[in-house]
Amino acid sequence: MATFKDAAEVYQCVGGFFKTVTDHPEMGEKIGASGLIIQFVYSEPDSIITVDAKNPPPKGSFFRIIEGPCDLKPDVKMTMTADIAHRFWFGKVNLVQALAKGDMKAQGPIPSILKLLPAIKPAYTLYPEYLKKIGKADKVI
Amino acid sequence: MLPEYFDYHIRSRVVAGPGVASALGNELRRFERKRAFIVTDKVVGQLGFLDRVKKSLADAELDLVGVFDEVPPNSEFGVVMRGAAACRAARGDILIAIGGGSVIDTAKGMNVVLSLGGDYIDYQGFGLIERQLGPLVAIPTTAGTGSEVTAYAVIRDDATKSKQTIVSNHLAADLAVLDPELTLSLPPSLTASTGLDALTHAVEAYLSTNWRPISDGIALHACGIIVRWLPVAVDDGANLEARYEMLVAACEAGMAFSSAMVGCVHALAHTLGGLYEVPHGLANAVLLAPGMEYNLPVAEARLADLARAFGLKPTGDQARDARAAIDFVRGLLPRVKLPTRLRDLKVPEGELALVAETACLDAAIYTNPREAVAEELLEVLKKVY
Repeated sequence: MATFKDAAEVYQCVGGFFKTVTDHPEMGEKIGASGLIIQFVYSEPDSIITVDAKNPPPKGSFFRIIEGPCDLKPDVKMTMTADIAHRFWFGKVNLVQALAKGDMKAQGPIPSILKLLPAIKPAYTLYPEYLKKIGKADKVI
Repeated sequence: MLPEYFDYHIRSRVVAGPGVASALGNELRRFERKRAFIVTDKVVGQLGFLDRVKKSLADAELDLVGVFDEVPPNSEFGVVMRGAAACRAARGDILIAIGGGSVIDTAKGMNVVLSLGGDYIDYQGFGLIERQLGPLVAIPTTAGTGSEVTAYAVIRDDATKSKQTIVSNHLAADLAVLDPELTLSLPPSLTASTGLDALTHAVEAYLSTNWRPISDGIALHACGIIVRWLPVAVDDGANLEARYEMLVAACEAGMAFSSAMVGCVHALAHTLGGLYEVPHGLANAVLLAPGMEYNLPVAEARLADLARAFGLKPTGDQARDARAAIDFVRGLLPRVKLPTRLRDLKVPEGELALVAETACLDAAIYTNPREAVAEELLEVLKKVY
């Protein structure tokens, strides 16, 4: 059974979490400094989250989050199921193995993708905390 | 303990033997194609290797409809697109790559563009190619890259001065042809640097966090063959047995790292190639022992295994054996008359920090056994400068 019942729940959990780190002093700053547009294209349920670190962010944020389809041309596009995305933010997905197994696809310059991996490590503890905070403790794995 | 999950994939049929490049009639006939297009470089053309392949084409009743010989040592995006356009114009329906890694990677890139359309850069990434490409035959003329069997195409992007990678199991050649006669004319310096490239593939595949049991066996076997036969091939280029062993070992090393991937030595070598056009094999050669040493704190047992693969007698002391493997590789460089210092490769000393930082963004760094930190890699570079 899929972790998320619909796109709205993906946006509430994953999208909402992304929004909480837009002003994170460590993660946010590094993602913002990448200058990239990274698009996460999820299936089961279909949903899209775009991280825009290229265009000017809202005041007080290092980057902005767009939920749903948008016209921005991504530098990097990551395609996966929402379940894999959920597990990824717990630090439970080995990126290389996921790519090799076909659980994830990465389009764009691989170095740009890898560049962000060290930066997002704090997310692995922040994501479960965020889920508990919004009353989604049942999603914690 | 076995990894929680592993996959291992080799799609290439491999044929090997002295003179096999001119006896491919039956092999080529299986593809049921009519119009062969050769991808190569000027040097290969001058050496007369194309004539051998032409005989095979005639035996298979294949028309040679074009030769693209404009591949430079470090090929770039534009070359791939020009080659694809030339093949399309000639209506070639089977690609035959004859040359070193740059030629074979260029042919892989051309095959992607010819089979799927669009621009080479559209396919930059991991796992984006989901269907079989057109037929590709790869005939290596160096014993180094193993590109004939790997799932990678590494091509330079002149705009960003970086090497960019496409990863897909569909990239490897359908047919890899290992003819040691085509490597007999390699000069000692190129024999040595390409041989060290192959050794680096085998060593880093074995040390990789993405190791798997099957690649382990192949990598260790390749290590043993390379350290035994590389000095012979360097000293006596006409030794057909040494050339044969090296060509097969380089192919094995390619099979190992195609699944297991590589590590910090390659990350640094890719960076030196991208920034300063340092030949890949030379960069790997100079950096292999320092890279092994960098990984020593987390990979002692595997380094000790490598010592045994190199033919060193086990001492019963794992730490000592691991150190012996590193010292052995360090000693191999002067033995095959290769430079041992980065300064010999004309890398600017003032830019070592840039090299370390850039290497930390290279895809190869992700499977290095020790989590690489730019400050630490800088110390490695300073030590070997």
